[in-house]
Amino acid sequence: MNIIVCVKQIPDPETPAASFKVDEAAKKVIPAQGIAPVVNPYDPQATEAALRLRDADGGGKITVISLGPDSARDAIKHALAMGADEGVLLSDPGFDGIDNFQTATALAKAIEKVGEYDLILMGRAAADWDMGVVPTGVASILGIPVVSVAKGMEKDGAGLKVERVLDDGFETVETSLPAVVSISNEFGEPRYPQLRQIMLAAKKTVQVWSAADVGLGADEIGAANRWLPLEALYVPVVESNVEIIEGDTPEEKATALAQKLRAAKLV
Amino acid sequence: MARDYAADISDPVAGEIVSNVGVWVDKEVVPVASDYEHEDAFPQPLVDGMANLGLFGIKVPEAYGGLDLSFECYAGVCMELARGWMSLAGIINTHVLVGYAIQEYGTEEQRQKFLPRLVEPEIRCALSITEPDAGSDAQAIKTQARRDGDDYVINGQKMWVTNGQRAGVYLVLTKTDPAASPAHRGISAFLVEAGTAGFTSGKKFDKLGYKGVETTELSFDDARVPASALLSGEEGRGFQHVMSALEVGRINVASRGVGVAQAAFDDAIRYAQKRVAFGKPIVEHQAQQIRLAEMATKIRAARLLTLDAARKKDSGVRSDLDAGMAKLFATEICQEVTLDALRIHGGVGYSKELPLERYYRDAPVMVIAEGTSDIQKIVIARNLLRDYPV
Repeated sequence: MNIIVCVKQIPDPETPAASFKVDEAAKKVIPAQGIAPVVNPYDPQATEAALRLRDADGGGKITVISLGPDSARDAIKHALAMGADEGVLLSDPGFDGIDNFQTATALAKAIEKVGEYDLILMGRAAADWDMGVVPTGVASILGIPVVSVAKGMEKDGAGLKVERVLDDGFETVETSLPAVVSISNEFGEPRYPQLRQIMLAAKKTVQVWSAADVGLGADEIGAANRWLPLEALYVPVVESNVEIIEGDTPEEKATALAQKLRAAKLV
Repeated sequence: MARDYAADISDPVAGEIVSNVGVWVDKEVVPVASDYEHEDAFPQPLVDGMANLGLFGIKVPEAYGGLDLSFECYAGVCMELARGWMSLAGIINTHVLVGYAIQEYGTEEQRQKFLPRLVEPEIRCALSITEPDAGSDAQAIKTQARRDGDDYVINGQKMWVTNGQRAGVYLVLTKTDPAASPAHRGISAFLVEAGTAGFTSGKKFDKLGYKGVETTELSFDDARVPASALLSGEEGRGFQHVMSALEVGRINVASRGVGVAQAAFDDAIRYAQKRVAFGKPIVEHQAQQIRLAEMATKIRAARLLTLDAARKKDSGVRSDLDAGMAKLFATEICQEVTLDALRIHGGVGYSKELPLERYYRDAPVMVIAEGTSDIQKIVIARNLLRDYPV
């Protein structure tokens, strides 16, 4: 089974709030000084899913694609160090400021250029914008099925049986292949790269493709051609108030709390 | 969110390895280290994790199935392990040190017999020098190995043996010629396998720190080993071989000093920004800023000194001066920094709720083990005098 895993490098989600800054005029996040970007936390789980399927299937190739600046090689290298076979970096100045739909388009073009694929895996969302629409977008553009938020999967004849996470439980669905599956954090812990794999990964060449290399025209890329115009970007001001519920006994306090919640129409 | 502790590693691949080990430490070690430490429990799941990463084969040559990574990489890895828990870097220390001795001074038969088994590891290693009446004065050991036909018969008592209960092979310093003068010419090292008749691991010491990993006595009561167990196959070379291997140990212990100091500093600088006293975070009081600046400067100097010693070892030249300086400085500043971190935390740092007290208790073993600070100064001075002939 040939699998393509899409990974993304993002600002470290653990960055302290005080270090998170936005340039409201440029509508951009200002990279926090001294804090290196990281692999999107859901993506190693997608790589792990690919590795498990490959191991169970007894063969095949795992190709990792990332769209981003040159530093996004690190996200690809991490997947290679986990055991993926090949890496492609989609990098182009025209990708600066693009939206999810343009990203999905670029990834779909790159996937078509890779060619032979049975399955495309992605993390359930990128933890920076947290929108989770790229998997669906890629599947839509490629005209193949998509199964979102998977917590487990196994080969099922010529297709795939996938266990999905729902708001109130789980469901198991079957899909034909090729398909796109987004992997949830419930999938389980990804493996740690072994030292030997890190050394092997360092010897692998990451191909770099520009927008033109995957057939994208100037009118499809760039912030000016976003499908989703970005009106404003700012750090919301969060206000919190603390109120101490008074009462002589726990029962009185609970009653007072329930009344306040009811008055606020929260219960 | 973690700082990039691999930034000073010169080789990019080694840097990636150190970063990845750091991620493992943050996720797997930091949350549980104090629990293991307080119970003085052997951290088998963490040791299994280290094995899975491939850490036990880090210095074994590729020809014997290992990774043959640089000492610089090894130092960086040990710093990260110790940042999580100093004992983990201790568990790997004698393993790597003995592996190095086998690789450098062992016979080909010894290399083929042991080195491939150190990678997974099928067996772990221990080093045994110290005795009840011989510590820094290692030439004063009394344990004897007497030639008997094709064998040697070992008798004596050893102390302070890290990995003393769980090792599969022990590099044991003995006297094969007690009358030799100078004494070191009568000292030989043997590779003694666990299970050898007459060889037993004794009681486990209850220590101030450095817990989890067992430190034990060893007893040799007519323990018979084949002549092929003599390291290098040559009598009278053991002292020289073990002292050379101790350079590797000193790089390890220096790295441990850096790692523990870094952990203490990381906790202190975060706490200083949160803790409010006299109406403002304590970090806004100049006294704490000065303290933090001094701590960070010491750690950085220790880190660079240690990596420099490791790189020198990588270059193949004699590095006992550099390793001695790194070990001396990094372990001494570790004591200072861990105490400063306690001062910044105040009472809460004295509590077992936080790991500050663990860092503070772990620091002293490093100024003692692998040659005390005073011994390091003698090593440094002798090297300097050699370099300044008049």
